[in-house]
Amino acid sequence: MADKYLVQPDVEFIKEIRGLGGDSLKKCFQCATCSVACPISPDTKPFPRKEMIAASWGLKDKLISSPDIWLCHNCGDCSTMCPRGAKPADVMSALRMRAIKEYATPKALAEAVNDPKKLPLLAAVPAIVFIVIGMVLQVFGINWLDFTPELDAHGQIAHAQFFSTWLVDLIFVPLSIWAVVIFALGLKRFIGDIHKNALAEGKTNKDKIEIKGFLNAIVKVVPNILKHRKFSECGENNDRATPHMMVLFAFIALAFVTGFFFFVLYGLGIHGPYSQFHPVKILANIAGIALVIGGALLFKQRLDKKDEMSTYKDWYLLWLVLGLGVTGMLSELTRLAGAAYLTYFIYFIHLMLVFHLIAFLPFSKLAHLVYRTVAMAYNEYSEREVKKA
Amino acid sequence: MSKKYGVYICTGCGIGDALDIEAICDVVEEESLPCKTHEFLCSQAGVDMIKADVEEGTNALVIGACSRRVNYNTFKFEGCMVERVNLREQIVWSHPRSEFPKLTEEEKQDEDNFDRVQMMAEDYIRMGMARVEKVKLPEPYLLETMSKKILVIGGGVTGMNAAIDAAAAGYEVTIVEKSGKLGGHVANWRRQLPTKPPYERLIPNKAKSLIAAIEANSKISVRTNTVVARIAGQPGEFTVTLKTPGEKIEFDVPYPLPEEMRVDESGKELDHEALIAKYKEYNEGRRDILTLDPNGELFGAVILAAGWRPYEPKADEFQNLGWGNADVITNYQFEELAARGKVNRPSDGKPAKNVVFVQSPGNGTDSDFPFTGSVTSMVALKQAKYVRDDYPDGRAYIFYQHMRTPGLSEYFYKAMQQDSGIFMTKGEVTGVSQNGGGLTVDAANTLLGDQIQVNADLVVLGTGMVPVTFDDPTVNLAYRQGPGFRDNAIFDKYADSNFICFPYETQRTGIYAAGAVRRGLNVEESMEDATGAALKAIQCLESVNRGVAVHPRSGDMTFPDFFFQRCTQCKRCTDECPFGAIDDDEKGTPKPNPARCRRCGTCMGACPERIINFADYSIDSIGSQVKAIKVPSEDDYSEPPLRILGLVCENDAYPALDIIGWQQKKSFSADVRLIPVRCLGSVNVIWIKDALSQGMDGVFLLGCKHGDDYQCHFVKGSELAGIRMQKIGDALSSLALEEERVAQFEVAIDEYDKIPDIINKFVAEVEELGPNPFKGF
Repeated sequence: MADKYLVQPDVEFIKEIRGLGGDSLKKCFQCATCSVACPISPDTKPFPRKEMIAASWGLKDKLISSPDIWLCHNCGDCSTMCPRGAKPADVMSALRMRAIKEYATPKALAEAVNDPKKLPLLAAVPAIVFIVIGMVLQVFGINWLDFTPELDAHGQIAHAQFFSTWLVDLIFVPLSIWAVVIFALGLKRFIGDIHKNALAEGKTNKDKIEIKGFLNAIVKVVPNILKHRKFSECGENNDRATPHMMVLFAFIALAFVTGFFFFVLYGLGIHGPYSQFHPVKILANIAGIALVIGGALLFKQRLDKKDEMSTYKDWYLLWLVLGLGVTGMLSELTRLAGAAYLTYFIYFIHLMLVFHLIAFLPFSKLAHLVYRTVAMAYNEYSEREVKKA
Repeated sequence: MSKKYGVYICTGCGIGDALDIEAICDVVEEESLPCKTHEFLCSQAGVDMIKADVEEGTNALVIGACSRRVNYNTFKFEGCMVERVNLREQIVWSHPRSEFPKLTEEEKQDEDNFDRVQMMAEDYIRMGMARVEKVKLPEPYLLETMSKKILVIGGGVTGMNAAIDAAAAGYEVTIVEKSGKLGGHVANWRRQLPTKPPYERLIPNKAKSLIAAIEANSKISVRTNTVVARIAGQPGEFTVTLKTPGEKIEFDVPYPLPEEMRVDESGKELDHEALIAKYKEYNEGRRDILTLDPNGELFGAVILAAGWRPYEPKADEFQNLGWGNADVITNYQFEELAARGKVNRPSDGKPAKNVVFVQSPGNGTDSDFPFTGSVTSMVALKQAKYVRDDYPDGRAYIFYQHMRTPGLSEYFYKAMQQDSGIFMTKGEVTGVSQNGGGLTVDAANTLLGDQIQVNADLVVLGTGMVPVTFDDPTVNLAYRQGPGFRDNAIFDKYADSNFICFPYETQRTGIYAAGAVRRGLNVEESMEDATGAALKAIQCLESVNRGVAVHPRSGDMTFPDFFFQRCTQCKRCTDECPFGAIDDDEKGTPKPNPARCRRCGTCMGACPERIINFADYSIDSIGSQVKAIKVPSEDDYSEPPLRILGLVCENDAYPALDIIGWQQKKSFSADVRLIPVRCLGSVNVIWIKDALSQGMDGVFLLGCKHGDDYQCHFVKGSELAGIRMQKIGDALSSLALEEERVAQFEVAIDEYDKIPDIINKFVAEVEELGPNPFKGF
């Protein structure tokens, strides 16, 4: 790096990171205990010391586009070992959130998702969307929204009688596409940026990104992610790996279940509710239970860990996960119990939460699902951790 | 005074088991002195036994028991001379019978056998008796007129604090201040570093409140526009002449001739008369140091708090840092800017929102600017805060090689570090260049990268605080050795203590330096320093008034006594006294100033005529101890043991030897005989010659380190001893004795574990040389 690097500290950026849970970033006195303590940091250009220095100098450009902030799994070993009371893990976490905001568009929505004051507004959005679209459709004689639903043809309570599946999918299908598009736009910039950063800091031996090699890297990395290989190397937060895995697999299973029944409904024209003994239904129930238990455990661990900074971004996601699981399971249970209006109400909340999950996915902490996967794949691709002979 | 002797041997602590006490008493009784033993001499019963004798008139006591460094008060008897013979630590405990076995009954039958440890104990008892015979009870040196007023030179925060503290303790104080008003540099500052917990915020500067306190204090008088023309005399009776700055008066202190004026054209040292003439010519219009100003004011002690001046870089200095550019200024200039209002650029008056503080001049080394220290680190933090206070969007950068925030000031560092707009990195600033309307600062080896740049509106160099003693003696002492402190070059001309471990002390008794004249200090440290110096000054007054020494021989009542009839005016004592205690007249006859004296005995060691002695420490007292050592020869034993004399500094080496006894891990040769001395500087070569001519096989000196990081309690003692030992080599060769028989070793107290090896190695070397040929003569 022969070129001189013009340092332009961004004071606003520092304040932002502090607000996102990285309040301790200025406490660092550069001893590098954190990088040594970190069980998963690579040997070349290890984190999080360099991130701490850059953060305390407000070097947004160096941080937002760094793949390293995503390689961190928030083990917290660094924070525990820091002799100065700084919390590199929290700073890294704050930086990730800031990066999510950076790569998501529109910015205003990203701001809103991470602003507790905007939560009532955001909570109201799906309710309004559902009700308004439902009412508007009623004007045209389409009764996809029925506040006095009857039992279905089989004499069972069916949520579809309340919110028609058509209405739900009319909203969620475009919403999913929107999430994908936003991610695609963000990722394009993200991959370009992390590569530039890696080149500048000598973290890769690849000049440019070849699609094929990169896809190969993804294929290599995904099993490791599923197995939580890095996460389980963690010291302090090791106990979080299992609940996290439960939640991840629950989401994957539920995504599969959703896809499967989507096909059953639209492809085969078979309406739910489906038999409790159907294998996919069993999977769905297991996943639902896993989601509740995993979410609750993560929730508890955050509450117990007093020395770790938990901010709105963390609680928002945890409430969402736990809420999805609980409302999902309860709407099923109340349906089976025959409590018609209770189950419709819970189902309504459940739908609202699903809306949050999909619509705000690229803007919330949950986006780490995508960014971390990509960053880990990039790290694999960059051959940074390949030992030189 | 007639002496009545008494020898008391303690048999406790293992002494009685290891030694033949009866034989020791025989040694005493050979000298027809009474010998008493007790199994627990430091017990009430033991002490009562001695006291009973003291009441009967015994006044010269030899106590053979533990080291004189323990049970000091137990064995202190009013009006008595007490010699403590160290049977316990340095004989019995450091020479265990497991290694130095007693003679068996069978061995005792053969007269050619001897018990080294027993011989050692008997010698030490003889030496103790010899000493107590030769010493006198000291009588204090009392001044005829005694002033307890304290003179404070400098009216800055240090001087003002010293004055307030001394006044609070009940002493009259006069502050002399060179400028027109009190307050010093601090009075002109915007804010001051914190002095109290939580040490996180800047506070208003203290100067105003201190000035008010001084003005309200009836014990303190202030003379502004005043400097010291000369300080003559000695502690307790310093005659001080004051004047306005720049004025030339007859009582301006004369300066010693500079080296180049002491020689003729050919480089030969001028003779005495010529030197006197030159000196007079050089100091034309100034009265000699021995002439007291009849209008001078009397003071008892002086606190030097004359402070510092900002370092002013020369025009061609710090070119790599852009010095010369209007927007590159020193920290002092920055402080002046900040005191006037918001920080603006000198070049165009625009707000200086991006300010780079450079703490090290770079150029490939990591040293800081000259005359800096932790204070300049702290000042950079303070001034960075000014930038942030003035501009919410301001950025202050500190590039340092060292960020020194000692003690609780670390909290201030932490607080500043928390500021979102203060950026710090270790690194070397390699260049400052004009870049359009601003400056670009280049830095290398930073935490952020190897080569970085920062844009700046203003660059501040963390230059240092030059002590006023850098080029001005300031105290202007009418001392023969000169008006200032000696050897301050090794302390960068700071009026440093020259005393390891003893701040505020200077090489001039009664004069105590405090504040930035002593070391680069911040306000809090200076204030603390001021208190220390005030207490030192008070200690001095309260010692001089009783005729006793100040630190480090606090309470010593003896002082050097000159037998002038035999003085050859060689001036060695005047030159060598580490404290400038001795002046001389035109003829070169020494004029001692006992109140300036620290009682180290360097003059006694220096005097070739041996006319300088102390009441309880003299050429004769030590010489007699040396002579009391029995030197066995072949007439006594077929293989006589060696006898080696060790002259041991009592400040570090002697206690270190006691530690060897306490630890009982290592032993050393039982053929050495150790005599404690006040300082190696007091060792007169006659003792060494005596020892060798009576047949002793070797002599070693054990004392403190000398050189730049000396540990000598009297500054120059071990250094001077080293010079004398070199010279003694020639004398030895003329006697056909090997130079190696005399050696000097350096130890610090924490190197006690090395001493046995040092001694044993020396003994082995002497053994190698063979016995002294003079043995038995």
